[in-house]
Amino acid sequence: MFNKILIANRGEIAIRIMRACKELGIKTVAVYSSADKNAQHVQFADEAILLGDAAPKESYLNVEKLIQAALDSKADAIHPGYGFLSESASFALAVESAHLTFIGPSADSIRAMGDKAESKIAMKKAGVPTVPGFEGLQTKAEFKKAAKEIGYPVLVKAAAGGGGKGMRVVNAENELGEAIESARSEALNSFGDEGLLIEKYLPAAHHIEFQIFGDTHGNLVHLFERECSVQRRHQKIIEETPSPLLTAKLRDEMGQAAVSAAKAVNYYNAGTVEFIFDPQLSSYYFLEMNTRLQVEHPITELTTGLDLVHWQIRVAAGEKFPFNQTQLTQRGHAIECRVYAEDPANGFLPSTGKLLQFIEPHGPNMRVDSGFAAGDEVTHFYDPLLAKLIVYAENREAAIQRMQTALREFIVHGVITNIDFMQDVIAHEDFTQGKVTTRWVETKFDWKPLGLANEVLIAAELGDLKLSQRLQVAGLGHEVYSPWKSQNGFRIGVGK
Amino acid sequence: MKTSFQYNSQSSSLDLTPAGKGYQIQIGDQTLDAEVLRAENGKLDLLINHQRVTAYVSVDNAKRWVTIRGRTFMLTKESAGARRKGSGVDHAGGLAAPMPGQVRSVAVSVGESVKKGQTLLTIEAMKMEIRIQARADGVVKVVHVKQGQTVEREQILVEIGDAL
Repeated sequence: MFNKILIANRGEIAIRIMRACKELGIKTVAVYSSADKNAQHVQFADEAILLGDAAPKESYLNVEKLIQAALDSKADAIHPGYGFLSESASFALAVESAHLTFIGPSADSIRAMGDKAESKIAMKKAGVPTVPGFEGLQTKAEFKKAAKEIGYPVLVKAAAGGGGKGMRVVNAENELGEAIESARSEALNSFGDEGLLIEKYLPAAHHIEFQIFGDTHGNLVHLFERECSVQRRHQKIIEETPSPLLTAKLRDEMGQAAVSAAKAVNYYNAGTVEFIFDPQLSSYYFLEMNTRLQVEHPITELTTGLDLVHWQIRVAAGEKFPFNQTQLTQRGHAIECRVYAEDPANGFLPSTGKLLQFIEPHGPNMRVDSGFAAGDEVTHFYDPLLAKLIVYAENREAAIQRMQTALREFIVHGVITNIDFMQDVIAHEDFTQGKVTTRWVETKFDWKPLGLANEVLIAAELGDLKLSQRLQVAGLGHEVYSPWKSQNGFRIGVGK
Repeated sequence: MKTSFQYNSQSSSLDLTPAGKGYQIQIGDQTLDAEVLRAENGKLDLLINHQRVTAYVSVDNAKRWVTIRGRTFMLTKESAGARRKGSGVDHAGGLAAPMPGQVRSVAVSVGESVKKGQTLLTIEAMKMEIRIQARADGVVKVVHVKQGQTVEREQILVEIGDAL
């Protein structure tokens, strides 16, 4: 087992990984940028190393600095978390070359799944259903012929792509030429590769993914699905498991397909095979494989009872994963809501500022994986994820109820969040009926924040009088009211 | 004492008078009474028309954050003298930052003619890139920012005048 692990990440996931390390008796090294010097993940680690400036390429994306930090701190392994360098084959290689262990799959597996066109070819060969389409086309005439054969609407997307970049929906032949050109230039700009693939566009599809897990001794299993269809800008907001759409038979079939997909690239450690699911035909197609730990891994942990990060570390150290497929079961229902610093009423644009209040909900089967605390600054340099709120209950209905309560008890002041928005999503009948598709938020759900009730106005004014007056009496002058500077037991009498 | 707050670019006022153990409050043509039961650590326990209400309140300069029954509102207190105009009204040709972030590139300079929809500059925040585009044909009058500069939400970035 490892003595010390460097966590090449920040925020909630860095803390999540450090918790697992501490439980396994492994020392932790945090890395940070100048913008994060007071961040929670820095405080949580046994030691912390400054990488450089706030810009990710000077810090969390800087391979040389990360490896140097691991060598300087005498760490013997690096956990990449998600995002940043987690899916960089060259980073995984660089870690191995420095005689350190990369906690994740092999660089070859990462590379094989990194190119969308290549991975699609590999999946077809492995017998995994893929979206009808073509790879490796060059001329417009070839694309035209392919599109006709597939049938419009079609999707033109960057082979090296991700995150919705270099992707165009084409509804008819006259839009095809322009779509190819713009997708090509965007692909070249974003990924340095203008290769495109073309496939059938499914406008009313769900996103269902399977957690897979393997060791280096040849055991590879799936840990059931996650339904992640509530999305904005191709990014997930709410995830749950089990999916309300799958029958036991379909679950088995898709799980097997996911295992085949992973086996095709000799996969080990944690990974996720994503499928597009068409609810009309109950058909599913391979979308891509994420060769890392997912943001939404906790819902799988709650319903399987497994600690995925523990096992990531243990199999990276060479241990066997002790369960076969028939020994694994899922129990109950789990939902995750991602609390983002963003404004759903303003195009989900990021919101930054100092957290004036940050109160996490507590209760039976409520879990908060958070990277922030009151007093922290939310800056514009990184992902707007503040925390993940995860609940578990006996069944879906009870889990939705529990999540509703937990969201209402999550208080964040100082930045605008999507907490109110998510309350309305999970209360919507389309959500309760499992009808939310990946484009539902953008095309069907026209969300408006609540109007101003009298009691809000009254609370704002009385808060002003009571809370700020109290500070002045307490001798703190004209500082803004700071809830984390507790002054217990001091109250002002009214009308005396 | 009359106070006004802005919420979603609408102004609402209330008038508060001490009465008995609490206050009498006038909002439009409605009269309500309120009493503060507890006020500590950013949390208020109130009785409003004899109904118990728990409110989380934070004060940050003119901003007021209020959470009641799990719903959060950000209000802005209007200062007594200066009534605020709607945002952006006083900068007819000015383009404001829709989000806080860092200026990634500036594509135009003063005196340049621009077409409607042309990208003037880009801002990056939290892995997202936003293009600031001209709303109409015109000429660049002022460029307020340069590459690498950090900007606040609503900060004016460029000003475009009428085409000659």
